[in-house]
Amino acid sequence: MSLKAEELKGLEINHHVDGVGEVCPHTLNIALSALKKAKPGEVVVEETDHSIATKTIPAAVKMNKIAEVLGIVEENGLYKIYLRKL
Amino acid sequence: MEFFLIDMFIAAAIFGFLYGFLLQKADFCFVASVRDFVSVRDSRLGKGVLILIATAMMGWGISLTFGWSTIGEVWSVPIGFTNLVGGLLFGIGMTIAGSCASGALYRAGMGYVQFWIVIISMMIGNILFALVYDPWTANYVQQPLQLAESGFSLFQLNLPFLLLPILIVGVMILITIRQFGVKGFFNGFKEAAMDLKGNPLKRSHWDIRLVAFLLGVIATVQFIIMSSISITGPETRMVGVALSFIFGEEFIYNNTYLNQMFASFPSIGIGPEETLIIFIVLGAFVASLLSGSFRLRLPKKKRLPYAIGGGLLMGISSRLAPGCNIANVVSGVGGLSISSIIVVIGMAVGVFIATAYIFKMPLLLFQKMDFEDDIAS
Repeated sequence: MSLKAEELKGLEINHHVDGVGEVCPHTLNIALSALKKAKPGEVVVEETDHSIATKTIPAAVKMNKIAEVLGIVEENGLYKIYLRKL
Repeated sequence: MEFFLIDMFIAAAIFGFLYGFLLQKADFCFVASVRDFVSVRDSRLGKGVLILIATAMMGWGISLTFGWSTIGEVWSVPIGFTNLVGGLLFGIGMTIAGSCASGALYRAGMGYVQFWIVIISMMIGNILFALVYDPWTANYVQQPLQLAESGFSLFQLNLPFLLLPILIVGVMILITIRQFGVKGFFNGFKEAAMDLKGNPLKRSHWDIRLVAFLLGVIATVQFIIMSSISITGPETRMVGVALSFIFGEEFIYNNTYLNQMFASFPSIGIGPEETLIIFIVLGAFVASLLSGSFRLRLPKKKRLPYAIGGGLLMGISSRLAPGCNIANVVSGVGGLSISSIIVVIGMAVGVFIATAYIFKMPLLLFQKMDFEDDIAS
């Protein structure tokens, strides 16, 4: 499922992960640890300025089957990756 | 060589710009190609590296077959355990730092302050190595660990130059077809070219398979008209130039290692290969500006030890191996050089060690996955 930017921004966020200034593999590790703490159905958002994380985090959570990728919002090199815990 | 022609500087600037532009467009990360594969089974970047190797191997084979370059120009260094140890330490260093030698350059152009720190730390590592090279490293590390005094490329075997590249790339294609089918194989070409539709310059991301192929072609052209692509050698010379301003040129001439780094230079200064490095950063800067992904990215303070420690380790080990990911993967493995094949194996093991034991990441590659159960049932 991939939601539009407006729909993503309207979602209730349960866990916010601050990944700004982080690079790999920390960007992925902090997302995974937040997802471990989250309850099924809850929305976890990682905010990051590490461009490659927009590829690695969705690939990792899909492979782990730990979360659904709801979508990514990009604004001037800052990305918000929306995930829903499965 | 007594002097460099201005044409070489212009060619180097163009090559550097194109490398930087393309690396940024695909977010081409050599660390992630191994780390993400063993950790989360993500093979996107790994496929890119394999396509880059395949293209370079074919490119080197074609240029030798047609006599556009000679076997003496293929980059190969003495074979020994230093290849393995240097590669291993470089692999650990780049995983800690968060990027390889080429990754640090393109990300520096994207505005990552962390990777400016990594590059400076790598350069300090280069100098630390040069300071202990004669007599310690040369006599007590490199010589005892050396197996052969000269390098060896499989292109030196008395075989048609294209035979081995065709065989190796043929096996790679067969494995791909076995996994994805003939249709899937050809669909890959179509998908890879999709990102060129519309205005590709504004697009923030290009398919890594397309970029890997283009990088391999450009590296081949560079090999034919200029030199084998490398990063950490030129970086060592750049810091050598800086030191010559501070301590005088005698400092460089009196240091065995730095002196030999400038052996083919008319004087101590910036040559074409160093120009190429600067233009990689510029190419990435322009690519990220065009797609709107440039941003001044400040690192978290607690991560600075990773940037500095990883960078220092990369700087020292890149001199020991010798060479970074780019020189060994493209010019080395592409040139079928035995030493580089050993270095690259060392790097992959190094990335694995850092992923598993320093970052303690999940290792899904070695776990039985649910979908395997599905297939089995």
